[in-house]
Amino acid sequence: MTAAPILSITDVHKSYGTYPALSGVSLDVRHGEFIALVGPSGCGKTTLLKQVAGFEDTTSGIIRIEGEDMEGVPAALRPTSMVFQKLALFPHMTVAQNIGFPLKLRKLDQSTIATKVDEMIRLMELKPEYLKRYPKALSGGEQQRVALARSMISSPKLLLLDEPLSALDVKLKKVLQAELKRLHRSVGVTFVHVTHDLEEAMMLADRICVMRAGKILQLGEPADIYYRPADPFVAGFIGETNLMPITLTGRNAEQVSYTSDEIVDGEGSLPTALVTEGLGQGPALMNVRPELIRRCDKEADVDCKLAATITEVFTKGGTVQYRARSPKGLELAIEIQGTSHLPMQLGEDVWLGWAKKDIWVLKPGEA
Amino acid sequence: MDMEVSRIWRDPELWVKALPSVILQTTCFLAPLVMTFILTFQKTQNFQLNWTWNLATWTDVFTKPHYWTILGHTLFMALACVVVCIVIAFPIAYGLATRFRAYDSEIKVLITFAFITDATLKTFGWVLFLDKKGAANYLFAHLGLPQETVAFLFSDWATLLGMVYNLLPFAIFTIYLSIDNIERSLILAAYDAGASKFRAFWEVTLPLSRPGIWAGSVLIFLLGVGVFLEPKVLGGGKSPMSAELIRQTFETRVNWPLGAALTLVLMVVAIFVVLLFSRVAGMRKAGA
Repeated sequence: MTAAPILSITDVHKSYGTYPALSGVSLDVRHGEFIALVGPSGCGKTTLLKQVAGFEDTTSGIIRIEGEDMEGVPAALRPTSMVFQKLALFPHMTVAQNIGFPLKLRKLDQSTIATKVDEMIRLMELKPEYLKRYPKALSGGEQQRVALARSMISSPKLLLLDEPLSALDVKLKKVLQAELKRLHRSVGVTFVHVTHDLEEAMMLADRICVMRAGKILQLGEPADIYYRPADPFVAGFIGETNLMPITLTGRNAEQVSYTSDEIVDGEGSLPTALVTEGLGQGPALMNVRPELIRRCDKEADVDCKLAATITEVFTKGGTVQYRARSPKGLELAIEIQGTSHLPMQLGEDVWLGWAKKDIWVLKPGEA
Repeated sequence: MDMEVSRIWRDPELWVKALPSVILQTTCFLAPLVMTFILTFQKTQNFQLNWTWNLATWTDVFTKPHYWTILGHTLFMALACVVVCIVIAFPIAYGLATRFRAYDSEIKVLITFAFITDATLKTFGWVLFLDKKGAANYLFAHLGLPQETVAFLFSDWATLLGMVYNLLPFAIFTIYLSIDNIERSLILAAYDAGASKFRAFWEVTLPLSRPGIWAGSVLIFLLGVGVFLEPKVLGGGKSPMSAELIRQTFETRVNWPLGAALTLVLMVVAIFVVLLFSRVAGMRKAGA
């Protein structure tokens, strides 16, 4: 079913004075999707979220929710609900009053509200005795659940999450990430989640929208973003990667030929599916993730290989990370499963190889 | 909780640490109070304090309704002043904290100046303004209004005006601080939950600024109970308030025991009123 998008953002601009916070953002969000807006601070992701919520206006462009133009519709009347970064629980209301607040505003009677509140605390796995407490008597994780319950109780069509997990410690964060995922699956509401934590986005989202300086750089599934980044910034934003300069020399329907100073490749060509569309002749970058590179022999039958010297070893418990430098000065990162004895030693001259299917070629640019 | 308190009290180190504060409180606060209390049981003869223990002063205080009428009037004026101050100060503080952020510091400087300008000066300024031949009537006459439109000088209204004028900054400051402390995202959360601007104000801003309203009220009430300048200068001394009565008793009548007794009565009643109201406010908070 190709239903109309629940949220459709078309060419939205926003400027504060002369500073452009958003410059031409277009994005369609599907029904029931979990989408993450990711980017460094100041990239415009929160501005975009606030525009959807109705807390900020757009300088130009259209935001539609279920096909309806939201221009001029106040936040109170939008079918959206926001979970704030600082949670914004009302300190003068009990947990029950906080959760029931949206329904109280809709003038529902007390018993209906109480029933819905009970339903919500069960959904959020909160203890019923918390209902009479004030928010500040709860732990950070519990407050988080209360904030989510308050946002969900009015059955919004879009749940907007503004980095609600950013203030929590790592352990609690992991628990609540799992919680969010479970919640999303069980209620089927569309989630738009803003975060600067790409790992979090990869874990949670069906699709990730990477933003930078008011523009969308790439929109895709986590695997697309991770293995097939659109540009060096996206590639570097999500964990470590290797970007090796190559020169594209020709292209036909199936193959793209390339040359490299250092990479040894008998064929000197790649299937077109592994190359960013529209990339013509000239300089390009070959992206290979550290965990896809292996040590090999000089004569080994590997698609691509490279000679290098190990310059650094980091043992991280489950994995071991290496830094290596090629004779021409190319820096590489390699990550392998940890073993009881190190497979490569500091200062060792090695051959490093990787399979062609793990390559992604992208356009050069600033990282 | 109780256990913790008793454990702390048994700690000898605490007594040493508290000593400076205890000495200061005793010499500067407790001792004068005790002396005042002792004074009420003495006598005056021929404008001289006569050190003989008796209960004449207290009998006098509890039998003459005159003192209690003045006290009632004082409490009423102080409470009226509180109500008027809060009603005026709230919109001003709300505006400062929300709408006029850009001029925030300038306005604060102006209010501070109002604070540090001498109250006597300002109060006499009002006399000049409100006088029969004063600036207000002059202005109104030029606007074509009848002669002596402003004719409430030397009445309770003028006293109240002066009190409100002098005490208003306390309310503005305390309320401003509490509104300023309300996190913006709480208001947005109310809108997001479906609240209109008025509902968000009513359900979130107002309850959260209650501490400021309360602090301002207590401050103004206690200061208002103690005013003597305004009833004398603007009220014309026609209906004196407790502070003026006490001053007269000490200075004009030179009846120190009576002055001391009236002082204690005023203190106790004022504290009682504050406690009563805080009980009511506290109950409302718990029930809300």
